[in-house]
Amino acid sequence: MSRFIATSALALTIGASAAMAQDVTLTLWTESATAPEGIFAQEFSEMDNGITIDVREIRFDDLVTDTLRAFATGTNPDLIAIDNPDHAAFASRGAFLDITDMVAGSDVIEIDRVFPGPRSSLSWDDRIFGIPRASNTIALYYNKDMFRAAGLDPDNPPSTWDELLAAARTLNDPANNVYGIAFSARASEEGTFQFLPWAQMAGGTFDNINAEGVADALELWNTFLSEGLASPDTLTRGQWDSTGTFNGGNAAMAISGPWELGRMASDADFDWGVTLLPVRAEGGERASALGDFNLAIFANTDHPDAAFAYLEYFWSQAHRIWPEFTRMPAIEGVELAPTGDARIDAAAAVFAEQLRYARNRGPHPEWPRISQRIQGAFQSVLTGQEEPQAALDRAAEEIDEILN
Amino acid sequence: MRRVLQSMRDGIGFDTMLVILTLSYLLVFAGLPLIYNVVISFQTVDVFSLGTLMHPSAGVENYVDIFEDRQAETVLRNTIIFTLGSVALQFTLGFALALFFHQNFTGATWIRGLFLAGWVMPGLVVGVLWNWLLSGDFGVVNYVLDGLGLIDEPVFWRSNPETSLYSVLIANVWYGTPFNMILLAVGLSQIPEDLYEAAELDGANAFQRFWTITLPMMRATIGAVIALGTIFTLQQFDLFAAITQGGPAGSSTVAQYWSWELSFREFDFGRGAVISVLMIIVVLIVSLIYVRSTKAETQL
Amino acid sequence: MSVVTNRALLLVAIVLAAIYLFPLYWMYLTSIKTQSAIFSVPPQFLPDTPQWGNYATIWELANIPRYMWNSLVIATGVTLITGILGAGCAYVLARYRNWWIDMALFTVLMLQVLPPSLMVTPIFVGFSWAGLLEYPRFAAVLAISAKTLPFFVILCRAAFMTVPRELEEAALVDGNSRAGAFVMIVLPLARNGILIAALIVFMQGFGEYVYSASIIAENRLQPASIGMTNYLQPNQVNWNAIMAYAATYVTPVLAAFVILQRQIVNGLTAGALK
Repeated sequence: MSRFIATSALALTIGASAAMAQDVTLTLWTESATAPEGIFAQEFSEMDNGITIDVREIRFDDLVTDTLRAFATGTNPDLIAIDNPDHAAFASRGAFLDITDMVAGSDVIEIDRVFPGPRSSLSWDDRIFGIPRASNTIALYYNKDMFRAAGLDPDNPPSTWDELLAAARTLNDPANNVYGIAFSARASEEGTFQFLPWAQMAGGTFDNINAEGVADALELWNTFLSEGLASPDTLTRGQWDSTGTFNGGNAAMAISGPWELGRMASDADFDWGVTLLPVRAEGGERASALGDFNLAIFANTDHPDAAFAYLEYFWSQAHRIWPEFTRMPAIEGVELAPTGDARIDAAAAVFAEQLRYARNRGPHPEWPRISQRIQGAFQSVLTGQEEPQAALDRAAEEIDEILN
Repeated sequence: MRRVLQSMRDGIGFDTMLVILTLSYLLVFAGLPLIYNVVISFQTVDVFSLGTLMHPSAGVENYVDIFEDRQAETVLRNTIIFTLGSVALQFTLGFALALFFHQNFTGATWIRGLFLAGWVMPGLVVGVLWNWLLSGDFGVVNYVLDGLGLIDEPVFWRSNPETSLYSVLIANVWYGTPFNMILLAVGLSQIPEDLYEAAELDGANAFQRFWTITLPMMRATIGAVIALGTIFTLQQFDLFAAITQGGPAGSSTVAQYWSWELSFREFDFGRGAVISVLMIIVVLIVSLIYVRSTKAETQL
Repeated sequence: MSVVTNRALLLVAIVLAAIYLFPLYWMYLTSIKTQSAIFSVPPQFLPDTPQWGNYATIWELANIPRYMWNSLVIATGVTLITGILGAGCAYVLARYRNWWIDMALFTVLMLQVLPPSLMVTPIFVGFSWAGLLEYPRFAAVLAISAKTLPFFVILCRAAFMTVPRELEEAALVDGNSRAGAFVMIVLPLARNGILIAALIVFMQGFGEYVYSASIIAENRLQPASIGMTNYLQPNQVNWNAIMAYAATYVTPVLAAFVILQRQIVNGLTAGALK
């Protein structure tokens, strides 16, 4: 109830302040008009505050290039929802509005409640350049029925790399078209997203990708493929298609994120669960990937206050992100309301915990190039062209060149 | 003024005007962008200054980088295999189908039309479908080959560096064959029947008729189809994006995909442009061959 | 042709078509599968629980009529510009043989070398300078036409090569002007080739993605090729919806072309020459 009052009060304030101003039209570019920012923009436009937001959908693959092109010619939007590893490229160039002071003066946005991962992705030089839309991360899905059939304990899923490998070997059943595990090692950002957590659990970072131990992580992946525990198509398949094979009963475990929950709940005709990504050894360091988008205002907007008012409205609706959009809030203290599906609720709790270990990719303005070197390393190992350490050393050298 | 108008309607002015109009349009909307690509290949381009032509000069540095890149050799080899393989297969299959449907059996023209399906479908959808069809585990291609006893264990077309390029090539041949077929079918239908009848009276067999009438009469069409087929193949992008993303480990990267990767995934527009300049040189050669080939065309 | 040969050829044709059209079948099939059935082993050749609802969903959510209308507008514009500018040029290039003509032919071919993805940045920048982005669909038509024009010219040129020179000369002797002879005699005689080339240009305009996507910013003016990609979200792709969407737009277009190509290739066969 208190939320409701806060929201209405906010709507009133925005309405009051804008009533004096002329009517303002803002544009927002996003990958989907039905994502929270699109829906909230529509609601915000329908309020009596003199501000209208036009939403333009752009295919995810084109979002950054179209925006760069538009920015170069001054035809960029006022607001954008952008994938978090791409945020730094725009923030570091002064393309995004520095909202540090506006946030400090805001009664609505409490930026300190943002989890450290997303917080890092929207910061540059200790200044704030946006707010998070939501967060996602990856964890281990497993087929409980298959665990039972193979004599494994479905309530005690693998928690270390050794256990994971052992489980994959036990569950692997080529005769019945069942792989031990499904994941994605594709030569795209998805591949980096899936690989980095393993490197980080072994003590590596993107700017120290050949740290001692990362070779073990890569060797683990290599073992999955060389022993046939994962499909060779792991190399050219995204997470969504890989997890599709898990849902179809052709893989016993899968590494993916909360975006799978809806489809899995309706398609998978078996009992499944989610657990934290296994760590390198008992008590070892945890890590996971951090995904999802941030919202930012362009520095050249004519209406920074109106745009910020929209960010405030978005923030005030954080409690709706999970129940209405099945996305995990990036803000501390937002409860995940039960959905009515026990498996989804249990999974949500696991993902919420996993999110605390989720690390931002970068931030670095050259992230796509760095990421490309990391993909090059694991792909050349997984196709048998290089040894893990050699591939990582070379990637590290190339990344150093980019960083300096 | 009258003489000019007169010439426009009736003389060399008429011809010149028709060509100049079209060429000007092309030079503005295709020539200028092409020049832009050539210019930025000698520059260090910052992603945020795409809107201008003024970038710091890089000399030939971008070119040196590209030639020294570990990928360069694979990309060159892949581009040649992909282009020659695609064009040869598309043309052969397209021609064979066109000849087959030219025999005017019942339903021939309807069924020929169905082959246009490949050309009507969006590239993205074609790519995704072939991605699934060629999948190692659930792919239909493996399922059929296995059913026929041709393979013992699944072939991972997309994910084996040895076959990844061919998986895209197969899809591209499928995609491009209808284009070849329909144009060659038109070419065939333009050949007057009486030529064949006369040859038959002279005792020429089917092969001789094909060799002495069909081929020479279709020279203009064949030249056009091959030249255009080559250019289309050099532009093929969707299938790479959907089937292999140039992988695994770069094993199926071709020039146009590499150029896109450098420009739009690494935002290194200068180097991306270098590859496009190199592609321009290839097309230059194709165009020269085409223009030369037109010298031997037969006009009725 | 004997009845047996006729039957045999038809049978072979059907088998070939069945093999060739398999991916098309797979598109239709996937559009009514459940999301995870796409990945099942062994592959499902018939849906066990057809999801017809996929069609209702996309029809309701995806605004297909609006997108199709925009595709139609763009494809028509492209075909018109390409046809008007291209046919005359192709005619001249077919009629003469000299160094200038060779150069022109060469230039035309050269100008379509780069894939749209590499041309779109300079085109976008240029259009933005010229203020063309204010008229997005028109701007997209201009850009796409530059891509289809060389192609159209080369094909039409091949078609004009089949028109006997004597017929045109006879028309001139009869008192026609050059322009008159071109419109009255040459164009009709070369129409098979021109129409099929125009048809292909239309199809290209209809399915074009790259230029439209970056030039047309407003969703309500975008063509169907872009509407479809709204289902491609990061980490989450509704393949069934994409296939249902593609099926919805491929089917009528394919049907139209099966009929048209038949008319064009056969209905108007070079019989006019005799």
